[in-house]
Amino acid sequence: MSALHPFSLLAIAAALPAFAWILPAPGGALATALVALGLTLTPGAGPGSTAGWSTPGRRPGFVTFRTALVSAAPFWLFLLLLHDVPTMVRMGLRITTMVASFVWLVAALSPDRLVEAMVARGWSLAIAYLFAATLSAVPILRARARRIVAAQRCRGLSPRGSVANRLRALRALALPLVLSALHEVDERTLALETRGLGTGVRRTPLAAPLDRTAERAGRWALLLLCLAALIWRLA
Amino acid sequence: MKILGLDDVTFWYPATANPALENVSLDVAPGDIVALVGRGGAGASTLLLIAAGLAPRVTGGRLAGSVSRGGRAGIVLPTPWTQVSGMAFTVWDEVAFGPANLGWPGHEITRHVDRALERLEIAPLASRDPATLSGGELQRVIIAGILAMDPDLLVLDEPTAELDPEGARAVWRLARSLAGEGKAVLLATSDVDALPDVADRIVWLEQGSVRAIGAPSLLAEDAMCEAGLGTTVAGLWRAAGLGAPYPLTVVDAAQRWR
Amino acid sequence: MALTRALAFDGVAFSYGNVAALSDVSFEVGAGEGVALLGRNGAGKSTVVRLVTGLARPDEGTVWIGDWDTAGHTPEQLAWRVGSLFQHADQQLFARTLREDVSFGPRALGFPAREVQRRTDEALDALDLHASAAQHPYDLSPALRKLAALAGALALEPALLVLDEPTAGLDRAGRARVAEAVREHAGRGAAVLVVTHDLGFAAETLQRGIVLDRGRLACDEPLDRLLTSAERLKPLGLVPPPVAALSVALDLPGRPVRERDAAHTLARVAGGRSAS
Repeated sequence: MSALHPFSLLAIAAALPAFAWILPAPGGALATALVALGLTLTPGAGPGSTAGWSTPGRRPGFVTFRTALVSAAPFWLFLLLLHDVPTMVRMGLRITTMVASFVWLVAALSPDRLVEAMVARGWSLAIAYLFAATLSAVPILRARARRIVAAQRCRGLSPRGSVANRLRALRALALPLVLSALHEVDERTLALETRGLGTGVRRTPLAAPLDRTAERAGRWALLLLCLAALIWRLA
Repeated sequence: MKILGLDDVTFWYPATANPALENVSLDVAPGDIVALVGRGGAGASTLLLIAAGLAPRVTGGRLAGSVSRGGRAGIVLPTPWTQVSGMAFTVWDEVAFGPANLGWPGHEITRHVDRALERLEIAPLASRDPATLSGGELQRVIIAGILAMDPDLLVLDEPTAELDPEGARAVWRLARSLAGEGKAVLLATSDVDALPDVADRIVWLEQGSVRAIGAPSLLAEDAMCEAGLGTTVAGLWRAAGLGAPYPLTVVDAAQRWR
Repeated sequence: MALTRALAFDGVAFSYGNVAALSDVSFEVGAGEGVALLGRNGAGKSTVVRLVTGLARPDEGTVWIGDWDTAGHTPEQLAWRVGSLFQHADQQLFARTLREDVSFGPRALGFPAREVQRRTDEALDALDLHASAAQHPYDLSPALRKLAALAGALALEPALLVLDEPTAGLDRAGRARVAEAVREHAGRGAAVLVVTHDLGFAAETLQRGIVLDRGRLACDEPLDRLLTSAERLKPLGLVPPPVAALSVALDLPGRPVRERDAAHTLARVAGGRSAS
């Protein structure tokens, strides 16, 4: 999976939710949700069990799969509270497809390959980096969240226990995470300038990923299929 | 020809009434190692950002006076972990990030990266994942990353904060060797005791203004010791009630003693 | 609340995956003792901090905080006895005001309001932070945020204080504030363990030095002996700090390692010389 060109990965991650919403539910949505969840079980490109983008290669066990399920679960809960069962199933499956596709994308797509691919195609480095930064934000934030939780636990905060307790714990984690991340955006913009971003010069690709003709054809095919489905649905 | 000339520079950060720097003039020539010394908040970091061309261009704010440059500058921030690219799997790629962004051809990049890794004595770390490095290792990787961009002026803000004594010594050796090649180094550090063997000139900043500029012997003068900015040995001599001039280093003191 | 044997490492071994970080480490720290944990980057110092706070459990051996085995307690339970300051602590602040953040620990432990107030005030006092107490943490400089994080640890009034590089990035005035706070805390009977590269700070504030070398205990002895011995320090990647180096170079009697002691001895000897 990670051997695919970054644009192919993006295309798949975009196509699945598109199909989920275009195709008639619940059948269509179920199919796409299953495909998306199936993808989360394939070996990933990046994060191992430790923080950050560690050794490229296999991600241990069901981590991505679990993340997808856990991320989708709250939506199902809200839907259950707000709608009747058929609507809940319809929308739930569509949302699950979106969530699972995104979670899979984050696991499968390495930011450096994406930036290299975009730059090789002539995109400006600044825009390419924006995409990559969104992806790499996840492991960086995850690592920082872990550090903050550790620090708060050492001050007596218990993440277990009553609901009030857990909410308090969440606040003690979420606030420093967001505040320090926001605070760092300014610093980071400055910092990235120091590494040569923003000069407007064309970046030298260090290792541009291979884009096979078959993959490119496949991406176009996917796009055409989406359009065809849309037209068929609207007709 | 100067690499950097600050002429009567006053600088205000956005939406602040008080200037962070006031009427600062400073010249840095090729081969110079200039060290900024002062209490926290004295304006050293601001001066370094201006020297690196990041203030006011990226930080915003207003600058009065003039800044002239005779070469390219590269800066290592006091928070080096913010300068990590976030998208390199190996230390080699991380160091190559800057040169690649400058659009250099592949063989040039390889040459500069290998040389930078060697000079920072981190060649053994080349295939490590940057996310697994300790704070000290990361600081050295970032310095290498900036060095690989071949700046004429290397600007360092607290470059040894995360380093152990051996790592710190490697950085000071690097500064001297760069100066020997005709580059210039402008740095701020709270490790005053290291400066006599490293810096050619000391700039004493206080509340945004230059209070004094001089040779490292400045660090043994009464005024600096009083402000808590002199070397430990000089401060000790003064505290013992022994007369000026105070010795700058342990070696000076030992010679004086005989 | 002081613990006689505040911290004890008993044959502790720990690995990250298959990389050994610590091997057969044993030492004790008693009430009122100040210990500097020294060594190169990567020698295992931060691992020791993780084990002391309960964030990691030893693979072999036991870590004791008083009579508590860390393996049987969570970090939040250990917070009753251990106050810690991690590197980059300035990233963990979150409250609206500095005061609120400092009071987070005592509040989390469930103390009554009056007690929380007392502890917070004393911690702010110890680090001279009253002037900034009502400000938002992220409006303050990283140095002040670091001092605020330390105040947060002090507010727990722990029997064991564990600090990881508390003076990194601080100017001389900041270092002096930390030194004063640490000495005061130890004076009240707490045990203090400080991981630091700043040997000068260690000399001023602590009495004993434990040096780690590649995960093993290389030495455990009084700082005034260790810091004046260049031959012992060199293979461990360390160098005598200025005051100690001066003591040796000038052959000062008693080989003082603290500034005040050295200044007195220097004055005395110089006076003696000029008299003769």
